[in-house]
Amino acid sequence: MASDVDTAPLVGRADQLAMLRAALLDDVAQGHTAAVFVTGESGVGKTRLLRETAARLRARGAVVLTGACLDIGDASPLHPLLQALRRLDGDTAASRARTTSAVRGLLQMFAEEKAGPDGAGALLERVSRGLHLIAEGRPLVLVLDDLQWVDRTTRQLLLYLLAGLGDLQLSVLAAVRAESLQGAHPLRRVLTELRRLRSVRVLDLAPLDRAGTEQLAAAVVGRPLGPEAADLVWQRSGGNPFVVEELARDLRDGRDGLSDTLREIFLDRVDALPQHAHQVVHAVAAGVEPVEHWLLAKVVRLPEEELIEAVRAAVAHRLLVSADDGYRLRHRLVAEVLAHELLPAERSVLHRRYAEALTAAPAELHQARLAHHWRLAGEPARALPAAVAAAQEAQRLHGYAEAHRHWSVAVQLADGAAGPGAVDVDRGALLGHAAEAAHHCGEHARALALLEELATGAGGLLSCSLRIRRARYLASAGRSAPAEEEYRLVLEDPACTPGERATAAAYLAELLVQMGRYADAGQRAREALQLCSAVEGSVSEVVRASAALGFSEAYLEDPDAGLAVMREALTVAERSGRPDDIACAYLHLAELLTGPLNVIEEGVVVARRGAERVADLGLGRTYETRLLAIATNGLFRVGQWAEAEKVVAAALRHRPSGADAVELLLARCRLSVGYGEEEAADRDLDAVATVLAGGGARHVLPMLTLRAGLAMWQGRHDVARQAVQRGLTESRSDDVAILAALVWHGLRAEAEALASRTVEVDRTAVRRLREAMERVATRSASAARQVRSVVDGFLALCAAELSRIDGRSDPQLWARSALEWDRGNHPYPAAYSRVRQAEALLARRSRTVTAAKLLRQAYEVTQGLGAVPMTDEIRALAGRARIDLQDRTTEPAGRPGTVAEPTSDELAMLTAREREVLAAVAEGLTNKEIGQRLFISERTIGVHVSHIFDKLQVRTRVQASAIFLRQSS
Amino acid sequence: MTEPVWGPVHRDIVDLLADHPADVPAVVDHLTKLQDLLVRLPPLEASNPLADFNRLYLVITESVLDGLYDGRFADPVFLSRLDVEFAARYFDALRMWTESSPGTPKAWTCLFERMRGPDARPLPSAAAGVNAHINFDLPFALVTTFDHLESEPVDSSEQHADYLEINAIFADKIPSLRRGYLERWQLIIDTLNGDIDDWYQGELVEYTRDVAWRNAQKIWRCRHDPEARESERARLDRTAAALGRLLLSPLGALLQ
Repeated sequence: MASDVDTAPLVGRADQLAMLRAALLDDVAQGHTAAVFVTGESGVGKTRLLRETAARLRARGAVVLTGACLDIGDASPLHPLLQALRRLDGDTAASRARTTSAVRGLLQMFAEEKAGPDGAGALLERVSRGLHLIAEGRPLVLVLDDLQWVDRTTRQLLLYLLAGLGDLQLSVLAAVRAESLQGAHPLRRVLTELRRLRSVRVLDLAPLDRAGTEQLAAAVVGRPLGPEAADLVWQRSGGNPFVVEELARDLRDGRDGLSDTLREIFLDRVDALPQHAHQVVHAVAAGVEPVEHWLLAKVVRLPEEELIEAVRAAVAHRLLVSADDGYRLRHRLVAEVLAHELLPAERSVLHRRYAEALTAAPAELHQARLAHHWRLAGEPARALPAAVAAAQEAQRLHGYAEAHRHWSVAVQLADGAAGPGAVDVDRGALLGHAAEAAHHCGEHARALALLEELATGAGGLLSCSLRIRRARYLASAGRSAPAEEEYRLVLEDPACTPGERATAAAYLAELLVQMGRYADAGQRAREALQLCSAVEGSVSEVVRASAALGFSEAYLEDPDAGLAVMREALTVAERSGRPDDIACAYLHLAELLTGPLNVIEEGVVVARRGAERVADLGLGRTYETRLLAIATNGLFRVGQWAEAEKVVAAALRHRPSGADAVELLLARCRLSVGYGEEEAADRDLDAVATVLAGGGARHVLPMLTLRAGLAMWQGRHDVARQAVQRGLTESRSDDVAILAALVWHGLRAEAEALASRTVEVDRTAVRRLREAMERVATRSASAARQVRSVVDGFLALCAAELSRIDGRSDPQLWARSALEWDRGNHPYPAAYSRVRQAEALLARRSRTVTAAKLLRQAYEVTQGLGAVPMTDEIRALAGRARIDLQDRTTEPAGRPGTVAEPTSDELAMLTAREREVLAAVAEGLTNKEIGQRLFISERTIGVHVSHIFDKLQVRTRVQASAIFLRQSS
Repeated sequence: MTEPVWGPVHRDIVDLLADHPADVPAVVDHLTKLQDLLVRLPPLEASNPLADFNRLYLVITESVLDGLYDGRFADPVFLSRLDVEFAARYFDALRMWTESSPGTPKAWTCLFERMRGPDARPLPSAAAGVNAHINFDLPFALVTTFDHLESEPVDSSEQHADYLEINAIFADKIPSLRRGYLERWQLIIDTLNGDIDDWYQGELVEYTRDVAWRNAQKIWRCRHDPEARESERARLDRTAAALGRLLLSPLGALLQ
């Protein structure tokens, strides 16, 4: 009888199956990721499609993990993944020993995970490593049903893996109920962002058409339907396969008068159930699916044989399905029908039985389920400890959003449990935990409300430490003024200890720097440092206050004083030996140097030294990554691209997540755009978009700017324009340098459009860009000095581009731009300006000697950088103008092929990097292999090799190797 | 087979709706194309009630876009996302209507049903669309936007100020919505919302503007609870639908 359940054929989905197979397996390139999100209304066949696809992919050698999200509203983080792993564990037990041990290893990792700083990021990394081991080189497919109920942690994991940050070839297939996406579902926004990517598809699963409906109905009934019946089924089902199947079954079984609605179909079936089966169905409806057999037995309390008979009846009536891991209702609609069938008292009895049974036997989602059942059993006092345990469990897996919900439930339960027989519970502590979890998951207003409640409970008074917390929450919520006031009150309160006041002063100084009130910040920072001197162990405060002081001094144009303070803070931190303090001090010092002080080379050195130091201290993932990001951006700016590439690769090896990952991906993408590596740049941009789909807006503008830059190299100036326009409508007033870069890209796109004659110039766009330029100029007047210098550079570029758009590119303006960028030590934009200056001069047919000089100068720079598209442009321009780009003085004077007697000086002419490359060449490695070894691109190796050939005056790898081997022997 | 929902322009509208605009310039583009199609829908063509709304909405969105380019708002990131999310709900409703989905919000259905007639006066038609869009779609668009930006609907925040600025654009772009008329309309809205207490507090004008904002705050608080969220959605849908039907009834014509 149970075999009746899935015998209906899959009708009308052949195209979708083929598409899914291609999108998730066949068309996925090695090392890439892909995702398909299937949306559709209830009963349209999403689950069935997932199951069929999973089976086909498995048959083709993929490792398929399948899980489902739960709707108990307070599930635990990563539940669907854990469920999927347990299922795989069950499945593979017989087949592959290595897979099983990898699965168990990963499950073990979850069991042993402990809460800690950056735990969330580290957990993502470990999950991806674990999945790597499970995959063993086979394609990995993660299939998730009911994604509308996904927890936030799983959502972040999906985006992390899809962005390729886990360095894992993975496909995701997930189903989302369309009804749930209405309203304010968080997935809506995620899907809007993701559906634009090449690697992601959203498949809207439509109901069957008339022919499909008839085919399915005929298959169920066993013969074609008469015209009248067919019409009836079509009208009533609207092509929804689930409804079609049920209607057809009623027809076949000769049940009188087709029920009008599904509700009636199921009500009739429930009514027809034997007594025990009735009980079983209601019990499963009250449980958390899947309900294991042993658990059902404890809840229903029937003798074994009777229970099995009852289950069989429920399955036969198509209300229940049975799988290896337990029982589920056949469809959500069944739950909705049943919801109104039980008296509240009956329901709470079921929940109580579940709770009692689960108390005795720990199982999956133990605490969350216990809390759920005890609460619904009307036993707040017994639900409370479970809710607390579930909150702690969620926090252990760094799921602060889920933890916050459990803590909030605990608070409510504590209120409900008050009165006679109340449990002994510290309501204040619960509120405090709830507030901190809310703060951690970004719900600052909620965190503040909880603290408020805490204060009310304490007669309106908060302890000093809680008031510092309140101030921190206020600052995080962007409410600077009340935050400042709160810190000030703590500082003035004699009841607060010197330690608390030092903390408040240091935070306040930091806040004031962010608010741009440097003089006040400096004053508060000094106050903090003074307070710290009397407080043992206040190293974190010293570091924080010193950074604030350093920045405020730097902005107030006394850089040396600020630098000295920050260096001293580093010494203090080193003396204390606390890894986090040392790492913070390095970070602030590097930021200070590369930021307001604008001594980039030194900043890069500090950042790299710091990175090594904090790696030794075991903070590789967090601080090393951030320090390396600073180094990368600095190296890019000063034109050491090959070095920057190496550093960014090293940083990405930590598989960072969130904002750190975005920062690095953008840095790498910036290099790729400069190099003209379209494929790599595109991939990084998609990865950035994937991560940003999970939330956050800070990096959108740089992403769009790079998108525009890449589109221009590809000659797609309209695409560049679109990216810039979107950026203009989403720019915040406070990121003036970033906005300046975007505006320049916009103007350049219009100028290139004009020059290439491929796309019309958009005059409205130009007008808007011009207006944005003016706003940038106005705002930068009040910006910090180093911001102003960068903005001035971009504004100079903009002014020059405008002259180009007007058809009379002005060499003077380009010269000014080159000068601005030279002054700030930015060789790349300076070179670009020179190229345009030369182009303008050549167009006027004047001063070709100057033009040639400028082009050679730019050529040298772009070649050194490996900036291929720009180099090509220079070559083309030089070719048209018949300018020889080679500087004759360094050309090998007619000795091609002859290996001159090498002196030891010859290797000394090479840079350290070039010697490294040469050593690898001598080992016989290809450029690709050398690239992999040194973490830089194959193309950069090519650049190095050509430099080596130039310097050694050789033409082949063999000749170069010969010199190397002779010299180093 | 019955005639497709969108008659002769069915294919075009289906193709258009297959696209999901993701930034404000794209939304304006989308609405423009939609307008061109709607006025071709027989029998009413240019006087099609949905076209009346779409025309108004297009004008308003263009004003928002200009405001974004002109730096009129304190937090353009928030406002752009809100605008896109807001529009997406209108396009979703159209998509569901196209598929004859029972999930089509009732708030919208009452206007969509009138596309083929009987004709309604342009102002009540536009107002019915504005009603569905503000009283039903907007709170959810707000919640999604805040959620995505990892921010929250807090009174007197920058985002709140920007949000109120949009209302100013709405008022500005409905020229015939003169003051006296505006109040009468609000009276109906207030009565239907049933929150007479608020109304008596004498915050008449602010009240209407704030209904969606306050509803957003309400949904925000229960957004993790699927059941509560769904019942809130159903409530808003019912309220907006009742008001929409009223606006399109002969009573609504009084407003013109």
